[in-house]
Amino acid sequence: MLSIKNLHVSVEDKEILKGLNLEISEGEVHAIMGPNGAGKSTLGYLLSGREGYEATSGNVVFAERDLLDLEVDERAQAGLFLAFQYPVEIPGVSNMEFMKESVNAVREARGEEAYTAAEFLKLAKEACKHVNLPLDFLKRGVNEGFSGGEKKRNEIMQLILLQPKLAILDESDSGLDIDALKVVAEGVNSQRDGKRSFIVVTHYQRLLDFIEPDFVHILADGKIVKSGGPELAKEVEASGYAWLEKGEEATA
Amino acid sequence: MSQWLANVLERSSADAGTLSSLREASLAKLKDISWPTRRTEAWRYTSLHPVEKLSLKTNAEVSEQFDAPEVDDLNSIDIVMVNGSLQTSIADLKLPNGVSICALNELEAGAAAKLNSAKPSHHLFGLVNDVLANSGLFIEVDAGTVVEQPIRVVNYTLDGVEAHSRVFVQLGEGAKCSVIEHGTGSEQSLNTVFSEYVIGDKAELEHYRFALHGGQAIHVGGCHFKLHNESKLNSTVVGYGSELSRLDVDIIHAAEHAHAKMNAVYLLGYKEHFDLHTNIEHTMPNGTSEENARGIVGDKARATFNGRIHIHRDAQKTLAELNNRNLLLSRGGQINTKPELEIYADDVQCAHGATVAEISDEALYYMLSRGINKSKALVMLNFGFIQELVNQMPNKALANWLQPQLRARFEEMGRQ
Repeated sequence: MLSIKNLHVSVEDKEILKGLNLEISEGEVHAIMGPNGAGKSTLGYLLSGREGYEATSGNVVFAERDLLDLEVDERAQAGLFLAFQYPVEIPGVSNMEFMKESVNAVREARGEEAYTAAEFLKLAKEACKHVNLPLDFLKRGVNEGFSGGEKKRNEIMQLILLQPKLAILDESDSGLDIDALKVVAEGVNSQRDGKRSFIVVTHYQRLLDFIEPDFVHILADGKIVKSGGPELAKEVEASGYAWLEKGEEATA
Repeated sequence: MSQWLANVLERSSADAGTLSSLREASLAKLKDISWPTRRTEAWRYTSLHPVEKLSLKTNAEVSEQFDAPEVDDLNSIDIVMVNGSLQTSIADLKLPNGVSICALNELEAGAAAKLNSAKPSHHLFGLVNDVLANSGLFIEVDAGTVVEQPIRVVNYTLDGVEAHSRVFVQLGEGAKCSVIEHGTGSEQSLNTVFSEYVIGDKAELEHYRFALHGGQAIHVGGCHFKLHNESKLNSTVVGYGSELSRLDVDIIHAAEHAHAKMNAVYLLGYKEHFDLHTNIEHTMPNGTSEENARGIVGDKARATFNGRIHIHRDAQKTLAELNNRNLLLSRGGQINTKPELEIYADDVQCAHGATVAEISDEALYYMLSRGINKSKALVMLNFGFIQELVNQMPNKALANWLQPQLRARFEEMGRQ
């Protein structure tokens, strides 16, 4: 599904990822944890194709295609989805119009027929209820005036509608209270069907109590320094990230 | 003085029944006026060159029947004017109780004396309209009358014609009504339409001015509002731009606790020109005004926005906001924007801003990351900026009719 080999990424000439390796198979949930500044968000942006994030070496294969060769919209059409940490507000473009264009673009790329307005409205209403947002959020401008939690739930609504092959959740738990966190986690869990894969990027273990990962990776200073099962997240919760620095000192 | 203006003075006849004294006064002012050049501040970005030697038919027969544009669910009272002449028979209109409409050339002296009570005398083409307009409408809405149906005045100006017309609306105390002014024409022509609205105590006016001209048409017009105690105005201006298109809006808070909201949208392509001058006069305390003007300019088009707010010394506790945002789609396009604040009271809140921008990279990236291709995303983003104001139009039938037209126009601009 996704294979990342020796990936180096620079932002404004500063190297952020320094040789990252990651293999994700169909249906797996991988959590990536790490201290601030480790490069967690950079990975999501690089995979989605954000301008300014440059892969200086290494390669990324996604769904048997060279991901780094694709434009941003082509990556989404190929089945990649990034749930943003800070979703952008776009006043004047309604959430409904935005999601319909987006879903139909992805469907057409898959060789499926575009939904009619009526068909899409029905699906959108269901997805909206699923993430516990009032239906008038469909009519409002994209993320316009939404609270932090509402924005995150709006991202999950898009995840449900877009049906990607791989979803990257970039700190989808940040700034959420426990109820909102449960809604987000339940939305994600409902999309685990044994085929869809997930990368859950988070600073805290809290989200992983609700979305149980198959694998946990610790990202520090641009590399994955430790991988393991769900128990690794619990270790981090208990001891924090301080051991990373000690480890560095030990190797120095 | 231009050849054209000299010709205007010759054509004007002071012998115009109840309009005679209005004409005499305006004629005297016109004789004293110096023809604007590019050094005249109010005309700095709009050259009157295309008008100077214009010589068009002023008395054109209209053989065809023109209908108002079809708008689903609008259910309006329609009055059509072609080449400045009334085509609708006012006597045949089914008017609601409390509403009366009179043709300009049939006004009684008392009504005629009300003209120019909201329109300031410094508008050159307003004076021209005073001395030449033979037709127009005088609409009165009685105190306490709530008119459900919008009143729509549609102005067509045909090829080779010069036409002048007028609208005057008076709302009595507590009255409510909605007026739509719709102007169109794209062949070589000159058309002036000046409208005045006197909004009585606690009265509410919903207003639309659509200057949907294009091509070779020259349109110069104005909307002038006078707000009395606790009255409300909600106005939407839409401009397309043409060979020369100029609109002057004056909103005068003549009493306390009045509220004015105005949204303006302009979309220009090719070599079109549109110049919007707005002026809000807060002369009395406790008034509020809120103005949003947004425009998109492509190809070699030129837009000018001049937004003035004048808060007089007595107008304490005024709250005034003015915002102008522009999007430039091409290197050949031009936008001149100027907010002008004059504040003589010390206890007021006033905010203004004007920007000319390009699309937000972040918003674009967000849309691309959802699989939407770049050209589609740009259309959605650019148009979203205009759509926000269209969505605020209180009349949804009108908004639903306007929106696809604006979108089609915008998509065409993208192809230029």
